Amino acid sequence: MTDTPTLTFDPADTCLKVEQLSVSYDGKAALREVSLTVPRHRVTAFIGPSGCGKSTLLRSFNRMNDLIRGVEVTGQIHLFGEDILAPKVDVTVLRRRIGMVFQQPNPFPMSVFDNVAYGLRLQGLSDQRALEREVEWALRSAALWDEVKDRLEASALTLSGGQQQRLVIARAIAIRPEVLLLDEPASALDPISTLKIEELIGQLAEAYSIIVVTHNMQQAARVSDYTAFLYLGELVEFSATDDLFTRPQARQTEDYITGRYG
Amino acid sequence: MKTPSGWRSGDGALWLSTGAVTLTLLLTVTLLVLLGRVGFGHFWPEPLGTFTFHPGTAQAPLVAAQREQGAFTLAEGGMETRTLLRTGNRDTAAPDFRWIADASLRSAHFDPAAIELERRSWGPALGLLAPPKAPAADRAALAARQWARLEEALALPSQVRTGSLTLYSADGSARPLPLAEVVRAWRPNAMTFAEKLSLYFSRIGAFISEPPREANTEGGIFPALFGTVLMVMLMTVVVTPIGVVAALYLHEYAPQGPLTQMLRIAVNNLAGVPSIVYGVFGLGFFVYLVGGSLDRAFFADTLPAPTFGTPGLLWASLTLALLTLPVMIVATEEGLSRIPRQLREASLALGATRFETLRYVILPQALPAVLTGVILAVARGAGEVAPLMLVGVVKLAPELPLDGTFPFLHLDRQFMHLGFHIYDLAFQSPNVEAARPLVYASALLLVLMIVLLNLGAVLLRAYLRGRHRDPLG
Amino acid sequence: MREHISGQYDAELDELRAMVTEMGGLVERQLQAVCLGLSTWDADPAEPVAALDKAVNRLEVSIDDACTHIIARRQPTASDLRLVMSIVKAITDLERIGDETTRIAKMLETLCALPALRDPLPELTEMMERVQSMLADALNAFVRVDEERALEVITRDRAVDRAYEALVSRLLEAMEASPERLRSYHNIIWCARSFERIGDHAKNVCEYIIYLARGKDVRHQGLGSAN
Ligand SMILES: Nc1ncnc2c1ncn2[C@@H]1O[C@H](COP(=O)(O)OP(=O)(O)OP(=O)(O)O)[C@@H](O)[C@H]1O
Ligand SMILES: [Mg+2]
Repeated sequence: MTDTPTLTFDPADTCLKVEQLSVSYDGKAALREVSLTVPRHRVTAFIGPSGCGKSTLLRSFNRMNDLIRGVEVTGQIHLFGEDILAPKVDVTVLRRRIGMVFQQPNPFPMSVFDNVAYGLRLQGLSDQRALEREVEWALRSAALWDEVKDRLEASALTLSGGQQQRLVIARAIAIRPEVLLLDEPASALDPISTLKIEELIGQLAEAYSIIVVTHNMQQAARVSDYTAFLYLGELVEFSATDDLFTRPQARQTEDYITGRYG
Repeated sequence: MKTPSGWRSGDGALWLSTGAVTLTLLLTVTLLVLLGRVGFGHFWPEPLGTFTFHPGTAQAPLVAAQREQGAFTLAEGGMETRTLLRTGNRDTAAPDFRWIADASLRSAHFDPAAIELERRSWGPALGLLAPPKAPAADRAALAARQWARLEEALALPSQVRTGSLTLYSADGSARPLPLAEVVRAWRPNAMTFAEKLSLYFSRIGAFISEPPREANTEGGIFPALFGTVLMVMLMTVVVTPIGVVAALYLHEYAPQGPLTQMLRIAVNNLAGVPSIVYGVFGLGFFVYLVGGSLDRAFFADTLPAPTFGTPGLLWASLTLALLTLPVMIVATEEGLSRIPRQLREASLALGATRFETLRYVILPQALPAVLTGVILAVARGAGEVAPLMLVGVVKLAPELPLDGTFPFLHLDRQFMHLGFHIYDLAFQSPNVEAARPLVYASALLLVLMIVLLNLGAVLLRAYLRGRHRDPLG
Repeated sequence: MREHISGQYDAELDELRAMVTEMGGLVERQLQAVCLGLSTWDADPAEPVAALDKAVNRLEVSIDDACTHIIARRQPTASDLRLVMSIVKAITDLERIGDETTRIAKMLETLCALPALRDPLPELTEMMERVQSMLADALNAFVRVDEERALEVITRDRAVDRAYEALVSRLLEAMEASPERLRSYHNIIWCARSFERIGDHAKNVCEYIIYLARGKDVRHQGLGSAN
């Protein structure tokens, strides 16, 4: 679509540049020619009805879609000017630069500590003191430290759903990626924890570029600087969050955010 | 709202499933009780009777133990009950088991001087320590004297024992019995219950820990037990890594196309191939081809006497490993496919490579499934007999495959196996009645051994699962 | 506009609109009453104005309540948010119009006790007509979210201002000419001033309509930017 209301940023302020991205699963299109630029050190929210392709778009950024059989990706994605869909790209390096928190909390069946330390250990950090420091920082940042500091050796699976969600956030930020993809990071959280996570997102945005997928429009409105609305695999509108929630330009956006989507 | 009644209430299904479980349990218990009663009953010291017969029957009096009662049809019509007597003394008064018509039996009494001796050869000797017709006081004194000598002699190693014991038969004839021949002796009619119990357990202990004698109808089954355990362990050591790696390849690396699917089906079908076919394959491939080549390459100086080119422990283990490989692969793959995709993704998203993900996330998770595979493989492998007859099991192995001489584990040696031992006792024994209880006892031991091996694996699996237990299941 | 998935939400917004329409109707009646009274030099027609004002005030409170309720419960966004915001502001203006009419009604009582004027005041008549039609059109536009008409109403405010200025200079002359009617003229100036304010309030309402329709604030920017 050429008439999509969208924004562009200075190359220096551009984190991800998506051009004509189409993704299909077994020939069934999930994303159709999506083009947008995600700004650097800002929070960008993706909203849209279930199944519209938000997770698919997110998973294209760290090439998680590669793992799915029958997936076909066309178009281009540049991370700070670097083509990340090129075959020669080392996905393990890419995924360290682009951290992801999945829609369902997926802690490893290991201790809380080992969960957070996992990525650090993969990178060769083995000094126990350094590990402890980093793990504590990550858990504190994810507003989980106080709840788990006495049970770091307990299995992560004994944590509550909301605690698990914060644990996987801690695990993702422990390796300090440049970009953080959050797929519904607060779907199982109580309002206070949600606010803590939102606060965390705001703080992290000073150093990281963050993309949040959320079904909670108030949340998108609260945490994000820019919001993209996706519908049926297409980008309908991409605007500053303030504009999108007060005077959306596309009729579909208006209907969706006012609850008229049917 | 109407509550559903009848079948739809689910009560029927509940009863049916409970019934099925009960039936299974009942069958298992029956099996164990039967095996235990006949097999381990054999070791209980039976009372020894002195039987006399009616004059017309031309049967000399006997010292014997009653085995079982039966009935048979007479030629002139009508039924007659009869009794199986175990008379022992195969050397002097064969046969050692006799059916005696109850009608011909005149009297039986249980003489405290009656003795049963386990001998190095010719099976048990049954007799009296004092002549039956002598005055009671003399008898008692003689019997006590003989018993004391016997006990004294049994305390010594058999090589240094001298002299012999005088054993009297029921009709009063005496014969000498060299003390060096005696393994164990007891006077069942003069024993208290506690003494019987201790004798019982010491005989069971001997059965488990001693090598067989007398064409396997006497002595213990230790080599067979040992050989079975050793072979199963070797098999596990071989099959586990191969099975796991194969399953990992099939599930993690192989492109999931029709080819892989066909491979999977082929593996599944391998589980259904009759085990004797594996035996034939093992003989042809492992023994003759691989073993023969090994011999030509490394043991050429001892040819034509084969070293590895003959059935042996290694080939038997490998054959069984091959036999149980499908079970292992299927169980492991099943476990792998139950690991949620999200875990893999979590690891990969943190920048782990595929191998790192496999090593740190997938494998630890799949370990319980691997152990399930091991359990199934052990159960299958330990019970196999047919293929083993072709690739290394023998009726009687002169040496254990594991001993103190270099290289300690003798993979080329032939070995004994419980399953085959049972088969041998049951079908190849020259003395059916003597072998029968041992068949049951060996079978029970085989079952117990498998249970023990499995229990070990189950406990290990429970431990592994418990380490990071998901409270929600 | 399409319906919300939540029918209850739709019902609440409809209810809100209905209340605003009712309030507008009441204010219109107040305005009509004082205009009639002024043009006939008779205080009787304006008698119900005070009672109507009470009803208007009550309605304002209820509408405010309803808006607070919707904001808290529904977190309206986009056009819904703008609707609620416009209503919150529009009712303030409507209430002020009500106040102005009450003031005129009071003035009317003193006026009628005084001797009637000698000359007709065409500017006053013009103002009354214009302001009445402006209010009616603004309310209409509000109900229909008709930004064209709202724009047009805004342009009409100028004419009211001009009429007011003309009326004031005429009355100043008249005061000099006949100082014995000074009090009447003075009171009439106050009435005219109220009418002028009513025109301003109607114009404000129209600005909210444009904000509601376009998401663009046209206040204090002149008409150039509204087009
Ligand atoms: N692995 C897959 N295989 C096939 N189709 C898929 C796969 N993943 C997603 N899809 C399809 O792609 C479309 C977009 O899915 P996606 O997960 O991106 O939606 P979403 O916007 O994240 O939805 P939700 O808000 O429910 O998470 C859907 O129609 C879905 O059915
Ligand atoms: Mg999703």
